[in-house]
Amino acid sequence: MSLFLDRLTFFRYRNQPFAGGHGVTTDEPRTWEDAYRKRWQHDKIVRSTHGVNCTGSCSWKVYVKGGIVTWETQQTDYPRTRPDMPNHEPRGCSRGASYSWYLYSGNRVKYPLVRSRLLRLWREARAIRTPVAAWSSIVEDAEKRVSYVRRRGLGGFVRAGWDEVNEIIAAANAYTAKTYGPDRIIGFSPIPAMSMLSYAAGSRYLSLLGGVCMSFYDWYCDLPPASPMTWGEQTDVPESADWYNAGYLILWGSNVPQTRTPDAHFYTEARYRGAKSVVVSPDYAEATKFADLWLHPKQGTDAALAMAMGNVILREFYLDRQVAYFEDYARRYSDMPMLVRLVRQGEHYVPDRLLRAEDFTEALGETNNPAWKTVAFDEEGTPVVPRGSIGFRWGEQGKWNLEARDAGGREVKLSLTLVGHDVASVAFPYFGGSATNGFTATEHADVLPRNVPVRHLALADGETPVATVFDLLCANYGLDRGFGGGNVARSYDEDQPFTPAWAESVTGVPRHHIVHVAREFATNAEKTNGRSMVILGAGLNHWYHMDMSYRGIINLLVFCGCVGQSGGGWSHYVGQEKLRPQTGWLPVAFALDWSRPPRQQNSTSFFYAHTDQWRYETLATSEILSPTAPSGDWSGSLIDYNVRAERMGWLPSAPQLKQNPLTIAARAKAAGLEPREYVAKALASGALELSCNDPDDPANWPRNMFVWRSNLLGSSGKGHEYFLRHLLGTSNGVLGKDLGAEGREKPHEVAWHEQAPEGKLDLLVTLDFRMSTTCVYSDIVLPTATWYEKADLNTSDMHPFIHPLSAAVDPAWESRTDWDIYKGIAKTFSRVAPEVLGKETDVVLSPILHDTAGELAQPYDVGDWKRGTAAPIPGRTMPSVTVVERDYAAIHERFTSVGPLMEKLGNGGKGIGWNTQHEMAFLRELNGRAANGQPIMETDIDAIEVVLSLAPETNGEVAVKAWEALGKITGREHAHLARPKEDEKIRYRDLQAQPRKIISSPTWSGIESEKVCYNAGYTNVHELIPWRTLTGRQQLYQDHAWMRAFGEAFVTWRPPVDTKAIAPVRGKHGNGHKEIVLNFITPHQKWGIHSTYTDNLLMLTLNRGGPVIWISEDDAREAGIADNDWVEAYNANGALVARAVVSQRVNPGMTLMYHAQEKIVNVPGSEVTGQRGGIHNSVTRAVLKPTHMIGGYAQQAYGFNYYGTVGSNRDEFIIVRRMSKVDWLDDEPAAKETV
Amino acid sequence: MARTYRALAALLSYPTAELLTATAEIAAILKEEALLPATSHAAVAGFLREVEAADLYDLQERYVALFDRGRAVSLHLFEHVHGESRDRGQAMVDLLALYAEHGLEVAGGELPDFLPLFLEFLSLLPAAEARALLAEPAAILAVLTERLARRDGGYAAVMQAVAALAQAPRAGASAIPDDDPDDLAALDAAWEEAAVRFGPGESIDGCGTDRLRTRLRATQRDATTA
Repeated sequence: MSLFLDRLTFFRYRNQPFAGGHGVTTDEPRTWEDAYRKRWQHDKIVRSTHGVNCTGSCSWKVYVKGGIVTWETQQTDYPRTRPDMPNHEPRGCSRGASYSWYLYSGNRVKYPLVRSRLLRLWREARAIRTPVAAWSSIVEDAEKRVSYVRRRGLGGFVRAGWDEVNEIIAAANAYTAKTYGPDRIIGFSPIPAMSMLSYAAGSRYLSLLGGVCMSFYDWYCDLPPASPMTWGEQTDVPESADWYNAGYLILWGSNVPQTRTPDAHFYTEARYRGAKSVVVSPDYAEATKFADLWLHPKQGTDAALAMAMGNVILREFYLDRQVAYFEDYARRYSDMPMLVRLVRQGEHYVPDRLLRAEDFTEALGETNNPAWKTVAFDEEGTPVVPRGSIGFRWGEQGKWNLEARDAGGREVKLSLTLVGHDVASVAFPYFGGSATNGFTATEHADVLPRNVPVRHLALADGETPVATVFDLLCANYGLDRGFGGGNVARSYDEDQPFTPAWAESVTGVPRHHIVHVAREFATNAEKTNGRSMVILGAGLNHWYHMDMSYRGIINLLVFCGCVGQSGGGWSHYVGQEKLRPQTGWLPVAFALDWSRPPRQQNSTSFFYAHTDQWRYETLATSEILSPTAPSGDWSGSLIDYNVRAERMGWLPSAPQLKQNPLTIAARAKAAGLEPREYVAKALASGALELSCNDPDDPANWPRNMFVWRSNLLGSSGKGHEYFLRHLLGTSNGVLGKDLGAEGREKPHEVAWHEQAPEGKLDLLVTLDFRMSTTCVYSDIVLPTATWYEKADLNTSDMHPFIHPLSAAVDPAWESRTDWDIYKGIAKTFSRVAPEVLGKETDVVLSPILHDTAGELAQPYDVGDWKRGTAAPIPGRTMPSVTVVERDYAAIHERFTSVGPLMEKLGNGGKGIGWNTQHEMAFLRELNGRAANGQPIMETDIDAIEVVLSLAPETNGEVAVKAWEALGKITGREHAHLARPKEDEKIRYRDLQAQPRKIISSPTWSGIESEKVCYNAGYTNVHELIPWRTLTGRQQLYQDHAWMRAFGEAFVTWRPPVDTKAIAPVRGKHGNGHKEIVLNFITPHQKWGIHSTYTDNLLMLTLNRGGPVIWISEDDAREAGIADNDWVEAYNANGALVARAVVSQRVNPGMTLMYHAQEKIVNVPGSEVTGQRGGIHNSVTRAVLKPTHMIGGYAQQAYGFNYYGTVGSNRDEFIIVRRMSKVDWLDDEPAAKETV
Repeated sequence: MARTYRALAALLSYPTAELLTATAEIAAILKEEALLPATSHAAVAGFLREVEAADLYDLQERYVALFDRGRAVSLHLFEHVHGESRDRGQAMVDLLALYAEHGLEVAGGELPDFLPLFLEFLSLLPAAEARALLAEPAAILAVLTERLARRDGGYAAVMQAVAALAQAPRAGASAIPDDDPDDLAALDAAWEEAAVRFGPGESIDGCGTDRLRTRLRATQRDATTA
């Protein structure tokens, strides 16, 4: 072999290795690359986001090719935050990334659907009758009505055309308004902040009609009533970027990485920056990975933990040592210096209401609202009336502020304590002495007297002892300050409420951890002026006594001066999702441009009454009443309290009267009275009756219901099976018996019918793009556009940007946008209604509203006109009465143009008003003039421009006007916050180009600036704008008579209530498998909720494909349950089936079932009920709390989605056992349809 | 240019009053063109008689319950090919392009992979081309026939006729199992992700999420790249 001849001379091989053998050139064809290229080709990218359910409001690029949405990816062009701060990107999660699946999925609602039995009846009747006559011939014939009502949830849909369904709906609405009243037409839609115009479409239609819009925030139990109680604010929180500014973070009952995925990176970044992180969660939730220290109290005992932490902070930072920053903050920004009257009760005193200027002879010189001005001592010991209390807000100007001055303008330094004067024994209630269902009871008396420093004041009604809120608080926390007496402790190891040792016995958290965290939390706040933050969530808020956990935590934050400071404060992220351009949106949403006030109803009370859950109530008020309740009659059941609240004008009441509200004006005229006088007289005489007295009387039933942007029945309907039985009148799985059958005590104020109604609704209409559980129970299902098929707006509490939803493609199949659907119904209604309705006079009863002068209704005791303890005065002791003119033939004209009241009455919100002449003139130019001379609002984009033009958050000129209006009331200059942005006007197309940051507005308590992140309470602390509470300060003492009666004037520890849902069914449904009883917890999940629902197969693929419950290994072993077994959970409320996830994550004694798992996907039949599955709410029932019904009392006055009863569900227990037989109900035709 | 396709399209569309009056016309066309095998023809004729005698509301209820809910017998072909995969969008785009090549665009609100729409398209093509195109989703048609047979004999007959036109193999041995939620091993196998390899030999579906259907598709001819 010759090396010479082996060598090539004139050639070389093309594909030689190079780079030392690491590289090689190949020459295979590259056509395979075309596939990838094609895959990423597109015609256009459209910016959109996801509506309704998601707080994320993340910008997404939606790719469109050939008129088809092909995929979506995260958009990454957010405006930068600031130097030294991380940016917002990346935003978006797996749920959002899989959303486009819905557009073309098999579960899409493609055509208007009507139950065929109804459609057949309709066509038969309509062939020979006019529309309204046709509808009345169906629903007035009991046999015909029941023939389709009973079929709800049992399939049998057929398609129909839009014209036809619109006519059915319009005829039903017109008939109902004429026959019973427009307040029998109700609509439920949640979370307006996400796709706010889609919400507004339905609420505008209903409001023009005089129909009722239902609240969601309270019903979802996401509203924390502690927020309105403490701050007079629904919920205001820091944006997620502000987590980064915190020095100490406690993540408490909130699972940020799982449920706030796009924001979680700020938490990670805060930790990199050096913030300490404590996670409080009973289970090993995903968020625990963030923890430097993980505290895991027994579920439901968080308030006890918070009490003990408060005990430590008061001890170490207020009593044993004083911190100047904390004291100054407490003095200026909390009610701690305010004085409380003490009244004698037996051997001791009990704290009564806050002292008022009017209690003094001469009223301390106050002539305007002296009953609503609270009193404190200055450092010299003179009683003074500090500015800022609610009395200064109304009836005078310039003194409603938090300057350290008294009413006369003199500078004052308020005194926190009365140490050095007398000492009196004051009794505090203690509820922890008895507990059920395995929660720990401690051996302490139910009344704990403790010594408190007091002073005696000569008041108009005689000499009265008073104490400061601060001194009472210290006693409430059981702190020994050397005043003698019992029930107080100096050492953390004493077994006294509420020491760390005591808390250890209740919560299971070691005392040294409690002390350690409390001390560090406060130390950080001391060193940073309040940069300690608590992120808290539904894990706490869904318990019956959620206010105790929340107020316990709020107190920590107020003690440490954290609220209103960047990097500090209270971060409640549950379901509210800030509707930032609120004041621009309200007129569109509730047709305030045409008529005021709209009808709005708190859903929890409504559903409690109208799904007849009250008929099964097991919680007696005596179980929750305080042993220190003021003297008086505290008898009655929970619904009795609600009825009292309704008749006193505290809570709304819909349907309002047994009589049609369209007939009241005529009755008044016949009686020779103004409607206002007539209603007051007639209610007192009994000539008119409130509907709430008899919710089961057919005259008082809600008749037509719209559900849109919501899965009311499949996800948020607490007491699901009661909905099915009573509101819908169809097959259901209620297992317990009602009070009548049980022979238990019935309500006093409410009529009892032996036979409960089944099927109150004549018509249930649901708008959705997917066939949800609610859709399958509806009479008519209307196909809506998805989030990629319509123009709309989103805003969030998590970031300061306003986002567009855009129509990437036209709505598929026959679907339409919500705006077009309701506009279409309005058009048909205007044509159909004249058959029975023309111009009508509607008399509207509304509750006494927060942020209006009416909130100063009853300053002292509760006067009930029905019990003869007050005169019936509308707006003071009973609902307000307003006359509204309706023009039913003009509903469509009004729907599609902006009405004249905007110019006549102006616009505003939260107690301030401004004129809108300029904006209306602009809108006439921008949108054009309608035939009636008003600005056109024909399309969804027209409506968006109206919102953006009217809102201070998106129109700088309006922001300046709004701040100036507020400045008149506070006597301070605030407009500097908006003036640099006066010329900024955000339009819809601007948002499509890039998300825009909103403009600072007095609607909110934080500001948008280039210097600080949005943080709640910022303007209260830094602009000295009072909180909208009785004292004008963060109010830790709740002095309303009902708060005192139910033992919650101060925060305390209350064990979960006993819903008694196990005993009635225990041992009655055995299948041979071992049964165990577990606490039922329903947190939010990773695979559905928020951008998608639990029917998205992409997401279901990631977790067992159907409903699951999580149980501990110990419980599983005891019950013989293996991972992935089918199990059944049931109690008196109903039953559900799911697979078991057996996991170390879960504590023994509790089970987790992720919220809102649909029963339409992969759910077999229940062995107990024989019905398909059930959902998580099949085993729950709403239980009301009287303290949430309080009204007409400053911050405790009603506001829509602001205050009211809440639908708690965490106190529920269930029986869990393995299933013997998994029956998919596929073989029985009738059952098969039962979905 | 066979109107049999259009007749079958009509029978697989939402039943209307118009359809009830057209049953004779449909029967006549099927008979005249005689494209269906005798057994299929007889079965479809039976369904036609059933339709003729039926109450329209009952028919419509039956159709909505069968086809408008869920995806097991969805008439959108790509539901069965691509399922949740992102490839579905691209596949629909490709199909639109095919229609466009023939000078057609989708007029109503339907998606391009809706079987009756596809059949109408085929009715406009020369017989051989139509048959060749229909053969592409033949496996799906066979599976749909089998699934419908368990749910609704009438519609199964129509689907069987379509499958017959496509000369589809019988479904029995074919690949799309009806998901049995209790057969965990099968589910795992079905959902198992194949490793993504870049380079020649990897099809466009390499990144698809739905492995079962992707594999099925790989064994059949690709309906989307025709």
